[in-house]
Amino acid sequence: MALALILLCFVAGAVLCLLPYRAWLPGAHLGLAALAAVAGSILVAELDRGTLPRRWGAVALRLDALSAFMVATILLIALLALWHSRGYVARELARGGLEPHQAGRYYLYLDAFILMMLIAVVVDNVGLMWVALEATTLATVLLIGLHHTKEAIEASWKYLLIGSVGIALAFIGTVLVYCDVSILEPAREGALDGSRLLEQAASFHPAFLRLAFVFLFLGYGTKAGLAPMHTWLPDAHSEAPAPVSALMSGVLLSVSLYALLRFKPVVDLAAGADFSARFMIGFGLLSLGIAAGMLVIQRNYKRMLAYSSVEHMGVVCLGLGFGGSLGTVAALLHILFHALGKSALFLLAGNIQQTCDSTQITQATGLLRRLPVSGRLFGVGTLALLGAPPFGIFFTELAILRAGFQAGYLALTLAAAALLAVIFAAMLAHLQRLLFGEVERAAAAELTVAPAAFALGLLLLLGVWLPPPLARLVERIGMELMP
Amino acid sequence: MNPAIVYLVELGSGAILVTALAVIWRHSLQAYIGAFRLQSFLLGAVAALLSQLQGSLELLGVALLIALVKGWFIPRFLRRLLARVGSGREVRPYLNVAASLLICGALVVVAYSATADLVAASRLPTRNGVPLALAVVLIGFFVLISRRQAITQVIGFLVLENGIAMLALMVSYGLPLMVELGVFLDVLIALWIMQVVVYRIRDTFDTLDVTRLKGLRH
Repeated sequence: MALALILLCFVAGAVLCLLPYRAWLPGAHLGLAALAAVAGSILVAELDRGTLPRRWGAVALRLDALSAFMVATILLIALLALWHSRGYVARELARGGLEPHQAGRYYLYLDAFILMMLIAVVVDNVGLMWVALEATTLATVLLIGLHHTKEAIEASWKYLLIGSVGIALAFIGTVLVYCDVSILEPAREGALDGSRLLEQAASFHPAFLRLAFVFLFLGYGTKAGLAPMHTWLPDAHSEAPAPVSALMSGVLLSVSLYALLRFKPVVDLAAGADFSARFMIGFGLLSLGIAAGMLVIQRNYKRMLAYSSVEHMGVVCLGLGFGGSLGTVAALLHILFHALGKSALFLLAGNIQQTCDSTQITQATGLLRRLPVSGRLFGVGTLALLGAPPFGIFFTELAILRAGFQAGYLALTLAAAALLAVIFAAMLAHLQRLLFGEVERAAAAELTVAPAAFALGLLLLLGVWLPPPLARLVERIGMELMP
Repeated sequence: MNPAIVYLVELGSGAILVTALAVIWRHSLQAYIGAFRLQSFLLGAVAALLSQLQGSLELLGVALLIALVKGWFIPRFLRRLLARVGSGREVRPYLNVAASLLICGALVVVAYSATADLVAASRLPTRNGVPLALAVVLIGFFVLISRRQAITQVIGFLVLENGIAMLALMVSYGLPLMVELGVFLDVLIALWIMQVVVYRIRDTFDTLDVTRLKGLRH
């Protein structure tokens, strides 16, 4: 079975890390990630032909189109991150940034992190989904703390506390949903399974579910980096090792939105669709606004990328809030495109940091001459993320704005478009300084660029041609999420 | 429905709220740990009473686990952490005791008004404990944001966690066992990681006052 093989790949990777560190460990991880990616495409193909199993021993699975889409996205970015890690770890070992035993632990935590994300998107029980998501916070705190700099310690402490408290709020929401279930049905077997919740949604008490959704939204929204609960995000994403930032920004934020999406249809059925939509639109727009402000005054290119993630999570939320099949499908594709673009940029930012030894924009100017390949790719990736055609984000952002007009949110959609324009101008100005600014030093040796180039190539391809299985998958999710 | 047991559960819930407030008016970290330990034992006792009420062995197991992990292991763990970083006194908090207690009083009122609908709709005999549980959550949250000492913040997090466990007991006699076990595991790992970061803060910044951590801005 494809899913078993996927999980086994990362379990095997973690077991290898328990041995003393050897030089083949990065290569072995890359091989395992590639194997998992192949198994992931088999999983999507199986789903395309029919449905997937619902149980696995005692654990109920939720392998519908949305899960399969998230699994595929996670595996794709995991492959990029582990591919880039080979060069990254070798360079850190050479310059003394990591000791060999730390490199082993880096891979161990990375495997645990990826495994927990995968478990979070395939289990049906929303309580266990919460447990897996909390575990991702813990694994990433350990990864951020691998370097003992003052900034890394500060970032890990803030992230640990804000992340744990945030997700504790989501747990209160889960408890409140469960309380409604347990009143209706004293038998507790499978009572927290997401698919069961959906079946019974119409009979739930609207007041309970509204209160539960407020907690769930604040909790999982904190982990998804929505403003104003985003304060941990720029610190954590800018201090983590580059491949970890790629995974955190590219997929972990979306996995938290996935958790919200599991509850949204239930709440829509019980309390009316307007309730959750208003939350998504309000917080989405606020995220865009705060990201726009912070991007204008930004002086640090890694934090620039982090705030751009706040922006894109806001855009996805707007798409889901505006709803309709157009908004929902566009929001899901936006998750995939953002994952590819943002992870490529964080990987390249890691190269820039290792060359310039600083994350300040003023210290990393003149990239076109200093790091010709990384610099050019960074430019292309930034344009793609800003929504330049023919990259996919252009089409998804346009579709989300159209969905807003169709749903009748004229003023709000215009405000979102204006904020996107501000962000475009601000990031373009920073990009121009990074690429063309003065250079004091000569060109440096080029670092790992293949994974980022691959991701950007794929992003370009998906912008002009969506493979039919992917298109069918996304359409199916749109239907699943409609109440 | 045994009324004596229901009465004892309500009494225990009130006592748990009082132990949460103890963190507000006491001044030493030793006292906070003592209050947390007492709170955890009370929570375990409430869970044991509810298992009597419901005749559920599963819940009795959860009660024992609460007493063992939160009542015995975590306080021991925190005392050892405290002994190693050697700082028994609280750093001066942002607010004095009187203002903090007033705010906590307001939080209890907020908890009652937020759960009024829920209490009215619930048919469980434990429904009167729901606002108390939410109040414990809010007080834990308040400790977390109003204190500057890293270990006090950890205790605030643990009180919040106890409040959530209490809420689960009050609204639905606890969650399925598999989920409870997962949560225990997460809390233990979180605590272990918090300890690691606390050591690093002490070694790098030479203080446990987390307001000194302000290198990252904008």
